[in-house]
Amino acid sequence: MAFISSGYNPDKPMENRITDIGPRHYEEFYPEVIKKNKGKWLYHEILKPGVLVHVAESGDEVYTVRVGGARLMSITHIREICEIADKHCDGHLRFTTRNNIEFMVDDKSKVDALIKDLEARKFDGGSFKFPVGGTGAGITNIVHTQGWVHCHTPATDASGPVKAAMDELFTDFQSMRMPAHVRIALGCCLNMCGAVHCSDIAILGYHRKPPMVDHAYLDKTCEVPLAIAACPTAALKPKKVDLDGTTVNSIEVNKERCMFCGNCYTMCPSLPLSDKEGDGIVLMVGGKVSNRISAPKFSKVVVSFIPNETPRWPSMTAQLRNIVETYAKDARKYERLGEWAERIGWERFFDKTGLEFSHHLIDDFRDPAYYTWRQTTNFKF
Amino acid sequence: MAKHKTPLLDQLESGPWPSFVSDLKQEAAARAKNEKNVEYQISQDVVEDLLGVLELSYKDGTTHWKHGGIVGVFGYGGGVIGRYCDQPGLFPGVAHFHTIRVAQPAGKFYTTEYLKQLCDLWDLRGSGLTNMHGSTGDIILLGTTTPQIEEFFFELTHNMNQDLGGSGSNLRTPADCIGQARCEFACYDTQDLCHTLTNDYQDELHRPAFPYKFKFKFDGCPNCCVASIARSDMSFIGTWKDDIRIDQDAVAGYVKGEFKPNAGAHSGRDWGAFDIQKEVIALCPTECMKYENGKLEIDNKECTRCMHCINVMPRALKPGKETGLSILVGAKAPILDGAQMGSLLVPFVEVNKENGYEEIKEVVEAIWDWWMEEGKNRERLGELMKRQGFQKMLEATNIKPVAQHVQEPRTNPYIFWKEEEVEGGWERDVNEFRKNHLR
Amino acid sequence: MEIAEAKEKIVEALTKKSKSKSKFYFNDLSEILELKPREAKKLISKLVEDEVLEYWSSGSTTMYGLKGTGKQAAAEHED
Repeated sequence: MAFISSGYNPDKPMENRITDIGPRHYEEFYPEVIKKNKGKWLYHEILKPGVLVHVAESGDEVYTVRVGGARLMSITHIREICEIADKHCDGHLRFTTRNNIEFMVDDKSKVDALIKDLEARKFDGGSFKFPVGGTGAGITNIVHTQGWVHCHTPATDASGPVKAAMDELFTDFQSMRMPAHVRIALGCCLNMCGAVHCSDIAILGYHRKPPMVDHAYLDKTCEVPLAIAACPTAALKPKKVDLDGTTVNSIEVNKERCMFCGNCYTMCPSLPLSDKEGDGIVLMVGGKVSNRISAPKFSKVVVSFIPNETPRWPSMTAQLRNIVETYAKDARKYERLGEWAERIGWERFFDKTGLEFSHHLIDDFRDPAYYTWRQTTNFKF
Repeated sequence: MAKHKTPLLDQLESGPWPSFVSDLKQEAAARAKNEKNVEYQISQDVVEDLLGVLELSYKDGTTHWKHGGIVGVFGYGGGVIGRYCDQPGLFPGVAHFHTIRVAQPAGKFYTTEYLKQLCDLWDLRGSGLTNMHGSTGDIILLGTTTPQIEEFFFELTHNMNQDLGGSGSNLRTPADCIGQARCEFACYDTQDLCHTLTNDYQDELHRPAFPYKFKFKFDGCPNCCVASIARSDMSFIGTWKDDIRIDQDAVAGYVKGEFKPNAGAHSGRDWGAFDIQKEVIALCPTECMKYENGKLEIDNKECTRCMHCINVMPRALKPGKETGLSILVGAKAPILDGAQMGSLLVPFVEVNKENGYEEIKEVVEAIWDWWMEEGKNRERLGELMKRQGFQKMLEATNIKPVAQHVQEPRTNPYIFWKEEEVEGGWERDVNEFRKNHLR
Repeated sequence: MEIAEAKEKIVEALTKKSKSKSKFYFNDLSEILELKPREAKKLISKLVEDEVLEYWSSGSTTMYGLKGTGKQAAAEHED
């Protein structure tokens, strides 16, 4: 392949340089009906799972068809999305915060053809390219991180567990039988790029083995003070190590102090921590971000460890199904998973879901732990 | 014919949910075929090698990526994340595989013209793989080599009038909900505030001078669809001060079953006929509503604007007209001292497009000044708040303490009185004291 | 402060420490310059533009170093 220059001159990087222009202006991208009625919407209705209508003061309507998407997406797939939007939506579309794609049309008569087109498209492997759903009191798309596709500290994959989970929960992506929304998120390590900490159900990758130290190479590739400073629990200290008669600068890990975050590996590739047996998944439940009825809540750990069972994580998906079904059966209308668990009591949550309660689920991490212990005689047997 | 066998990944092609494996394979095949005769600037079989290394991870249960320190284009301290494969011999196509973050437009609306142009550029200079979108909101372009980064940026800015997003100790690319573009609940124009602040603070977004990352998110109402209250150092949540607007005829419509409650969100199950007492009045957290003689009444003074009644009856109820936003600060994920939710700093501020959001920017800049001066390396705003205390933040931002700032007053009396707050100050004469108190 | 003075101070301080580490936080640099962060930032950004300093990022945090120093570039075969 021949190198094609963009016009950039590496010897004079500032020549003709354009910087600090930010994203494109949002108004360039609005469909006509949105531009015209912005700020003047009267109400909306979910006509069926994945299909919404918004009605404006002007009488205009916009019909939205929401479809799920794998957030890992090729340009071939994006071009197909564009082809659909060109055909049905005057060349406009939008993505949601939860990786769904929204196709909008300005007339009811255009909806059925759009849905038919979307539903007919399948990948060679047989899965839907554009499943319609993800609205209302159902289970919408999972927000997630990179996992083994692209990250250096994941304790699990992201796209794979998400695919397995959404296959398992697919009927609930396309229906609205839940008591309230169920928001699922996946973060592939405890750093939680996906900020899964306020989700109804959070799937979180977790390492359980401290980093190994590659003494022979550490001083060649890493700067010891930087690696040590990267550790949030001060578990690392410098150490001189004797290797076949030569003394090398290296690092000692205080293993009891390690919280398995991988921050040291970010700074120093000679401190790898990922491990087939050590790594796996934690399940957390009961978080929410909405202020509706009750205040936003953090998710709580209810399953301390599930191994990475590639390629389909069957134990994890079985637990998801169990939690979702128990909630769907027992909660009241409008009650989020966390509100339900608090109403019945967490001891009852473990009864009803059959999940095992273990010492790992009692908080022992720093100050906030105290506030999670029970300080009343009011509890259920 | 696939370059690497992927028996484990192949099992993720079945099932109804869109398969990323099928999509990767489709991209690999498209590159191999190269119908448009693209002069690929990175390895043509990059996607094959990505499938190969991912299959290896599925086999050995570990990642094969290393972090790299590459940060961006010249003069920017973020926007690109370096990635290197730890099996470059087996998968040379992805040996160097850096991520580029492209700032997404507010509201994530697109024209196909724009997306196609971006696809063409990424086809030429990258792997052809993306995330639509990353967790913070950016368009993520997955995988290219170092020499392509400046070339990509040059074309992105010159041909697409489009900039990179943030990473590292920068302002991260701000994100917003759909807002007034297509939502009747939005109390302010999230897209305009998001876009304006993103552009006004380009220097903060590209040239890192913060102790750590800093996120803005904009939610049009307390439903918080972009999770600003949990995920952003500074969260802007639409709210209102006056009365919820009631259309009594529409309320009657809901009671009679003419309209589906909650806009039809619960229609997948038979929950029985809509019961306004049970589903609205009894669930109101402040018990400030009643429905008597066919009339809905709200004691608005007691309402905390939780949105429940409005969500259930969107045709009948609307937020008030005196709208603005609340600013909450300090939310973050659990690492390190535990998760933090945003704490209320500004109960209400008008959203004033005409003066360029002056009042809001004043708060933003006061917070930044405080954090930049007092924050330790890698200390998020929320952690600084915990370390120095809420009072220090009020002083730094010159905001008057009000009861709305707390859930409850303190449960200990250990008030660190300042000398100037105590009558007569702290300087005393011990000899005077001894006149009345023997040694 | 003039840019020349800032350059001298930064280069001297960073060179002195270069035996043990090559990357520094923004706060370390503003301390070397003895300036408030916003003032320091203008000079530090200029030093990046003049190719005296360069950025290094862990993805979540950004650090600064004298251009071309440090071990990692060599380890990544990018030099």
